[in-house]
Amino acid sequence: MTIVVAVGLASAILAGCAGGGGAAKPSAGGEAAKKPYRIGAVLSLTGSYSGLGTPEKETLDLEVAAINAAGGVNGHPLEVVVEDDGTDTGKATAAVSKLIDQENAIAVIGATGTGQTMATRVDIDRAGIPELSLAGGNAVTQKFDKQVFQMPWPNRLVAPFVLKHMKGKGVKSVALFTDASGYGKDGLAVITPELAKLGMTAVANETFNPGDTDMTAQLTKMKAAKPDAILLWAAGKEAATIMKNRAQLGITTPVYGGSGQARTEFIQGAGAAADGFVFGTGKVLLPKSYGDAPNRKLAEDFAARYKQKYGAEPNIFTAHAYDAIHIVAEALKRIPGDVTPAALRDEIEKTSGFVGLDGTFTFSATDHNGLTENDLVMYAVQDGKWVLAK
Amino acid sequence: MGPGQVSWPELLQFAIAGLKNGAIYALVALGFTIVYASTNVINFAQGEFYMLGGMFATFGFSHLGLPLGLAALAAVIATAAVAVVFELLAVRPRVGGDPMTIIIVTVGGSVLLRSLARHAFGSNELALPAFSPGESIMLGGAAIDRQTLWVWAVAAVAVFALWLLYSRTRLGRAMRATAIDGEAARLVGIDTRLLVTVSFALAAVLGAIAGVVVTPLTQTAFDVGAAVGLKGFAAAILGGLGNPLAAVVGGLVLGLLESLSVAFISSTFKDAIALAVLLLVLFVRPSGLLGRSRREKV
Repeated sequence: MTIVVAVGLASAILAGCAGGGGAAKPSAGGEAAKKPYRIGAVLSLTGSYSGLGTPEKETLDLEVAAINAAGGVNGHPLEVVVEDDGTDTGKATAAVSKLIDQENAIAVIGATGTGQTMATRVDIDRAGIPELSLAGGNAVTQKFDKQVFQMPWPNRLVAPFVLKHMKGKGVKSVALFTDASGYGKDGLAVITPELAKLGMTAVANETFNPGDTDMTAQLTKMKAAKPDAILLWAAGKEAATIMKNRAQLGITTPVYGGSGQARTEFIQGAGAAADGFVFGTGKVLLPKSYGDAPNRKLAEDFAARYKQKYGAEPNIFTAHAYDAIHIVAEALKRIPGDVTPAALRDEIEKTSGFVGLDGTFTFSATDHNGLTENDLVMYAVQDGKWVLAK
Repeated sequence: MGPGQVSWPELLQFAIAGLKNGAIYALVALGFTIVYASTNVINFAQGEFYMLGGMFATFGFSHLGLPLGLAALAAVIATAAVAVVFELLAVRPRVGGDPMTIIIVTVGGSVLLRSLARHAFGSNELALPAFSPGESIMLGGAAIDRQTLWVWAVAAVAVFALWLLYSRTRLGRAMRATAIDGEAARLVGIDTRLLVTVSFALAAVLGAIAGVVVTPLTQTAFDVGAAVGLKGFAAAILGGLGNPLAAVVGGLVLGLLESLSVAFISSTFKDAIALAVLLLVLFVRPSGLLGRSRREKV
């Protein structure tokens, strides 16, 4: 019996690891291929960010296959070695050391989460290799590191954008509702000074913990404070509970949010209670929001290929991974001879007007996010779908 | 907002929120207490039964196309089956040995069940529709969601059924006898090993019921078990381990403490406040609110 249990546990652990160890091997071309460029990726394939890391890995697999099928980069195929950090900072550190010291990666994509990205920094700096983070926390680029680039729109970009939209709708008093984990705290640090700058006031400031199953107590307090609007800054499934509890309490105060709610699971979870929710994030959710910009065709083309391969709609996380791998590929293309991590970093920093899915990136020696408010748009949830907010 | 500014309807609303969460904690706490009564150990996989209940129900409803009621029932039975298999394979070989070994086995079991659930059902959250959709019911200026009524009704029925089992059936009497003195129960011919299996099944049924009935409000995911398991554990300790009534009281008190913390102090510290009160109670009454102090057997 003991053996049965031991084997059961061992196989579960192995299965967990197997999910993370997969490498996207380049497809064998007919010609004698040059030595592959090996890129590492630290993603959260398990743990609480697995819903983010999994589509990111799928995107890397899909795009690397596409790039290689088109002849690779200057004749070199791309190879991506994916390590799972289990949404754990310790494992992220171990994963990045492995990618640097054993896999000899020339660049690292990741990590999925802000905490994990920050945890890899010591090793990234030590090795002097470029890192393209898929995490949206302010810290990633605010605590500037010349090796680290950030694909998503950080909170310091999105939160003021959403607040300005709210002000335009005549909102003066706001009830803040943030999660007590990293994302909410990060957002709150931006929101509080921005409110003052815009002449708006916070009449309530409530938080919740990840895993909380009921928000009616906090919402009851907010209702009593009579705000013009509620601003929800949170990542995770609790947002759906908040919208449901709001409907149950008969609260009609409008609710605004950010990238944390740019997930179909939020709409599915909240159902009709999500109707009327307004949030700001990148344009990738509705490619038509790019207007005539060339990003639109790119997004539509990627969405079709992603849907065909995985049977699911792409989301903002697929966009982050897409931009990361293509920014690396473009930078590699511009390096004629031997590629060193240092040369690659310098070339990535020269990225200018790169047309991606998160927006159009222009990095500089002081800006490693490279996105602006022009890359953002406001959405509203209507009949279980997101539409452009009026 | 100071305490003086809370109106009666608001206070009632806070109480409703607290009693709803409290009913969930109570069901999970009952699971802890039942297993503790038969094995003298804390089953750290209890939270995973809650998770499995919700996951099986969403799977049955969304993927197998079962009617909601049937999906819910099937989920509870399936969770109990998982618990029985887990008990037979992992716990039974250790019963009677060092309780610490069983505790470690249940910790391993919880990790295993969580990984299996992630592989089987994916890592995203899953939703289930409300049992009876519709507007909230207004009572004294406060709103009671229909699903909250289901939570209370289901919890009340489960507690009543458990009481019937304990007081009216031979099996229940055997379980009580084992809880009082396992060795003596064994000497009078009670199959205490079977009772351990039964206690795991019952704990799983209660946990799964909580998981199913709350999923329409919160959605579920492979990782929801740990947080609720912790709350249920705290509730069981608060009430007094080993006593079913105490588990129910502990759950409701914990739920109310949390929502009143939000009302009068701060939502940021609600969990900390609830746990501080728990520690305070244990300091004054080490055996919990309703627990009897157990004399050491010499």
